[in-house]
Amino acid sequence: MGDILEFFEQMGFMNMTIQQGIMLLLSFFLLFLAIKKQYEPLLLLPIAFGMLLTNLPGAGMYHSELWTAFLDANSPAYHSYGTIMREGGLLDILYIGVKAGVYPCLIFMGVGAMTDFGPLIANPKSLLLGAAAQLGIFLTFLAANSMGFTEAQAGSIGIIGGADGPTSIFLTSKLAPELLGPIAIAAYSYMALVPVIQPPIMRALTTKKERAIKMSQLRPVSKTEKIIFPIAITTIVALILPDAAPLIGCLMLGNLAKECGVVDRLSKTMQNELMNIVVIFLGLTVGATATASSFLDWSTIKIMVMGVVAFGCGTAGGILLAKLMNLFSKEKINPLIGSAGVSAVPMAARVSQQVGQEENPSNFLLMHAMGPNVAGVIGSAVAAGILLTMLG
Amino acid sequence: MMTPLLINWSHVWMVTGLGFCMVILLLVVLIFILKLLGAVVSNAVKAPGVAQPKAISAPAAQAAPAAAQASADNDLAAIAMALHLYFNGVHDVEPTEIHIKRVERSGWNSKLYGMNNLHR
Repeated sequence: MGDILEFFEQMGFMNMTIQQGIMLLLSFFLLFLAIKKQYEPLLLLPIAFGMLLTNLPGAGMYHSELWTAFLDANSPAYHSYGTIMREGGLLDILYIGVKAGVYPCLIFMGVGAMTDFGPLIANPKSLLLGAAAQLGIFLTFLAANSMGFTEAQAGSIGIIGGADGPTSIFLTSKLAPELLGPIAIAAYSYMALVPVIQPPIMRALTTKKERAIKMSQLRPVSKTEKIIFPIAITTIVALILPDAAPLIGCLMLGNLAKECGVVDRLSKTMQNELMNIVVIFLGLTVGATATASSFLDWSTIKIMVMGVVAFGCGTAGGILLAKLMNLFSKEKINPLIGSAGVSAVPMAARVSQQVGQEENPSNFLLMHAMGPNVAGVIGSAVAAGILLTMLG
Repeated sequence: MMTPLLINWSHVWMVTGLGFCMVILLLVVLIFILKLLGAVVSNAVKAPGVAQPKAISAPAAQAAPAAAQASADNDLAAIAMALHLYFNGVHDVEPTEIHIKRVERSGWNSKLYGMNNLHR
């Protein structure tokens, strides 16, 4: 009889708190969004399942207290990966890849191998739009400070405006690891909601005439340029801003493997197998950080609000700079491509195309928008490097 | 969490202003490098002794963009037609039947014994 009672006492049902119950319901909701609504399912599904696993009472797959001790200078487990390996669960061990900043860089390698920088090389002015769209990051940093977050936390919240999941995770794991769960979920949720968030801002800031502007065809880009581009960008950016080197370096390595044409096997591995494996590990472990104690907090709601502000400001920054450039340039730019500067490749470029075609069905903005879009990836990585240098 | 009074606002403003300016500055540097790269590569492509046509007569120079535009329009029309045919399922489908039927003649279907005329 005693054994039966002991068995019942050890059941998760008996040990579950209300907060854990709420988190389980939230994970079910995210799984629903991923599977039924297909909101960024490749990432949202593992994140939601990681959230489910970490909030199962007694499963012991992730221990937030171990990671608190890992960051505590007075603890014997301070910066001790050995302790994590010895005492941690499966998700703790996988989380080492996030903590060490490995997964975001590997994902960037895959992103680089899948990205064509041709539109950016053909029209280098796109980089300006990519830079302007980073306005959201810095305005949100300012706003988050005024809401009581520390500077490091504010920098991590601001980077949501870069609309770049791996960059957000990379910077947050360095500056404010305690906010990793809410920030990652906010970043990926808003990336999935780009088609909902951006169009009203785009329509509000542009006239019908501006939205109907047709842009001239981009010049063809030679293979030599495409090969030199990743090498030159890595060298210049890493020399000016060494903290951005891991992200930019991996992005450009992937791109070089794609463009040089002599390592097809490596390029395909980066685009498929490596990328998929890392996405599984990253999603699961980021979801695992969303424990009831860290997630069910007012700061999570504030982060969600700040995230959408960051996104909106970034979109507005790109559009307004495109309008400003039109005042001084002979060749007019359709301001809608400015909104694509908020990274989120290629969703933001597709939104520019869709909104542009609503005004003029014969207008094809996709390739023009891909320039600012990939410039946004570089811009957000550079912004992350700057925040890391200043706040790290 | 920090109360607003404890925040070092001068540092916050400095990070905001300087950080954003640095992003812009770095990407402007990259613009110049990309332009330089484009110029160098296009010169290198032209360099190996390929004689570029020096003078193009004025009517020919005007006709070239017009011809290119006409060609692009034709391409677009062909692509649009192909998409229309594909999405509306009106593309002609080759029947798989073979229409030529050879009539084998034997004692069983000979004209001599048959009641009906055979196909010719």
